[in-house]
Amino acid sequence: MDGQTKPRRRSKVTGLRDAARLARDALQDRPELCLGGLFKQGRPVALVRGLLAAGAKGLHVYSSPGAGYDVDLMIAAGAVAQIFIPGVTLENRLCPNFRRAVEAGQVTAHALDALTVVGGLMASAHGVPFQPIDALRGSDVLKHNPLIREIDCPFSGRRIHAVGPIRPRVTLLHAQEADLWGNLRHLSTMVYADQLMARASDIVIASVDRIVPDEVVLDDPTRVTVPAHYVDAVVEVPYGAHPTASFPHYAMDEDHIDAYADLGDAARTGDRAGLDAYIARHVTGPKNQDDYIEAVGGAQHFARLEAEARRE
Amino acid sequence: MSAPISPLEQMVVVLARDLADGELGAAGAAALVPMAAIALARELHAPNLTIGGEMFFNPEPGRLYPSMLDDRALGRCEAAETFIELFGHSHHGLDFFFHSGLQHDAFGNINLHHVGGELHTPGMRGPGAANLSYCHTSTRFYICPTVHTARNFVEKVDFITIPGHLSGPEAKRAAGMTNEGPRFVVTPRAVLDFDPATLRMRLKSVHAGTTAEEVQRHTGFDLAVSGDVPTTPPPTDDELTILRERVDKTGTLRA
Repeated sequence: MDGQTKPRRRSKVTGLRDAARLARDALQDRPELCLGGLFKQGRPVALVRGLLAAGAKGLHVYSSPGAGYDVDLMIAAGAVAQIFIPGVTLENRLCPNFRRAVEAGQVTAHALDALTVVGGLMASAHGVPFQPIDALRGSDVLKHNPLIREIDCPFSGRRIHAVGPIRPRVTLLHAQEADLWGNLRHLSTMVYADQLMARASDIVIASVDRIVPDEVVLDDPTRVTVPAHYVDAVVEVPYGAHPTASFPHYAMDEDHIDAYADLGDAARTGDRAGLDAYIARHVTGPKNQDDYIEAVGGAQHFARLEAEARRE
Repeated sequence: MSAPISPLEQMVVVLARDLADGELGAAGAAALVPMAAIALARELHAPNLTIGGEMFFNPEPGRLYPSMLDDRALGRCEAAETFIELFGHSHHGLDFFFHSGLQHDAFGNINLHHVGGELHTPGMRGPGAANLSYCHTSTRFYICPTVHTARNFVEKVDFITIPGHLSGPEAKRAAGMTNEGPRFVVTPRAVLDFDPATLRMRLKSVHAGTTAEEVQRHTGFDLAVSGDVPTTPPPTDDELTILRERVDKTGTLRA
């Protein structure tokens, strides 16, 4: 051999702070942010906290059709201008900061449905100018939904709906595993719209519970849910979805979310001190994820959530 | 002697009896009562009923959970899908689905968006809802709120999130809604159905231990009660035994 060395493939692994800055800067061009997971499962909450700590403002937030804790926290931190998510709820109770901010006219929550959001992401992912929808009738949401138009079906002549492409500037995802190159493996039962969002967005950043060796990916390519081609950066963040779940590794932290919601309800009725302290303790205070883990309750606390995930 | 029948157990049994073998359906957002009803129907008379349309097929939960968007609630399941397949199911429709909301009105319309004010200046902002299609693309749906008061049963909802029968047959036709829509309403107090001519809600039966007058008092519109209102057939021994021993082993419906 003449000593020429083989060029090396670039790793996409980065740190939480750098990933958050990448997202914040990109969102200054265009504020469309999209979050993976659904309600209390598989949400990229550590990346959301990083984005808030980096000072993101005026965001237009999209998600799979249902969101709760993370979007409410972003509103509490004053980072959100508009919400394009059909259902915003903690499921067992309403989202307190979402309610307060929308009722006060500080945040615009658009009336949408799941097919509009999914259809818009499909149009973007598939590279077509719009996605037809023929399953919306009778709801007052149709009078207010800003993303759809009525069109004549060119085949049947029937009046149907169309949604244009939803192209998030940045999508944040959480998966259980990735390799250095950004191939994501969701080990949870459901992947929701994560694969679709990855294909629909300008920039995709994923947090994962652990980085795995190349062999893990190569041994079972059908297990890769989002190929590295669609992924720009990966961050290994232990408990990066907390307080939402990352099955099969750890369950959602219902008590943490409930305690947060109590503080949000107090803020809604005039006492913001507890909510501000919560944000200082969990969002702006921790210098890294280890600090956050300590602030939440340390290794013992997370061992309980791991045990809960294994319980049938 | 076994524990008395709870209102939620009565609701589950009413719903389970109406689900047929071989059908395809899903539970919706507030899953506790609907999932118990589906599981009970599968145990009793509908072994080929398929749970599908919400991104998972035929889950085997170890106990009842309030939400099915939880891997623990899925237990083991036969298959998983994504929102892309849900887009398709929403167009093709299911055989049955379930809904409940902040307000329900005399025509079975459901509000989850706001109470008071307007959408962007709401008195109280609700959660909204994701799937607005199953209510009219599916063969039928059931309304099953776990509270029944004059505040959540109102003459007219402030916002129609989930359309039921709109303002009656003419309005449904004009909106292009050709399926049955809400078949009946079951609450902790009663079963209510819809007059086939007007599609307005009426009292069908009251659960054991309550009266038509009491149901009317807790309903914000006139149920046009006249004459004797029958009692909802209570769970049979078989239904109750299987519900408690195989579906709700932890007694969540009696909590």
